[in-house]
Amino acid sequence: MSLRQIWDRPDARFLIVFLTILGSSFTVIALNPVNDAFVLPYTAFVARASGAALRVLGEPAAVTGCVVSSPRFAVTIYNGCNALITSLIFLAGILAFPARWAAKLIGIVGGLVVIQILNLVRILSLFYIGIYLPDYFNDAHIYIWQSLIIIAGVALWVVWAQRFATEDGAPQ
Amino acid sequence: MKTPAIGTPGVFLRRLPVALMAGVMLWLLLRPAVDIAVAGLAQTLIRAFEHPRVTRLVVDDHRIQVHRSDFRSGSGIPTVSLAENNFNLIVLLALCLALPRPFSRRQLERLFMGCCVLYLTQTLNLVFHIKTLYATGLGEWSRQFYSDFARNVFGFGRYLTDLPGRFSFPFVIWLGFNWDLVMEMVRPNVEKKTRTASKAKKTRP
Repeated sequence: MSLRQIWDRPDARFLIVFLTILGSSFTVIALNPVNDAFVLPYTAFVARASGAALRVLGEPAAVTGCVVSSPRFAVTIYNGCNALITSLIFLAGILAFPARWAAKLIGIVGGLVVIQILNLVRILSLFYIGIYLPDYFNDAHIYIWQSLIIIAGVALWVVWAQRFATEDGAPQ
Repeated sequence: MKTPAIGTPGVFLRRLPVALMAGVMLWLLLRPAVDIAVAGLAQTLIRAFEHPRVTRLVVDDHRIQVHRSDFRSGSGIPTVSLAENNFNLIVLLALCLALPRPFSRRQLERLFMGCCVLYLTQTLNLVFHIKTLYATGLGEWSRQFYSDFARNVFGFGRYLTDLPGRFSFPFVIWLGFNWDLVMEMVRPNVEKKTRTASKAKKTRP
């Protein structure tokens, strides 16, 4: 099978483009200048948003850098907890799928907003799990919420592909 | 009233929560075997490039203990979490179980192949973890035996197979093995047209 024939297969083309975008974007955010200028401030922003949401819920939360703490519990928001990874995977899925640019834009904006809201719910729930069910914190953090976030990303992608990625953008 | 076809996104999305719960149950059940299988292949791969062969990986309470026969007897034993390494099996199981007819022979074969590919990615991730530990985490010894280039290669391999890989591999594998089903689900008309066109191409003399 020639490279041309592989490229002509829509499944192979999607996977090649998806993995290329994914690899490049994760390489870019791994660079120190990008990490310092974008990833760290963004993670601190997620921490501030989580602190504000906790205060709305009546928890006297304070935020220092990427640490959200209250007299009852504290969490540090790391790079893996800021939903950047899920967002980039979702973004790669949207960009690699054949669709019109307007549809891709709707997918990117809508999907990223939903993923951020879900991540905020995740952080809040983990904070309260840490307070009330500390023995289950690691399980909830590692495999329950991480699986939920990935599944939610895939579900969003399926909904977008069906509703917005219309036939016009499909390869002929 | 129209009943939804079995492969519609609505049915898929409604099945996902149940499939996710089934995935968690199956993973908890299979976890001890997966831990041992991942550790076994990772140890074989690491030892294949070692002279002398000193690394021994021991599974203990869902963590890998990295033993080396050339460690001093009193030195601490580094460990790596296996829950973080192979939890993504839950996601692959859930996505496959939410598709139409998940227990048909064809779907079970695809699931099996998908699990095998995911197993290889999990093993690769563990190998990179341990090689990064050797290259960067053992102080003067690391500086003595690993070059800056090796440190960068292993560190970057670990980074890519860690969060980005662990999160995206189940989706890529699921879509790769089930492209026809997923496309029928999200673009039924386009998929039908494509299939008809490729059939016509094949029958053309």
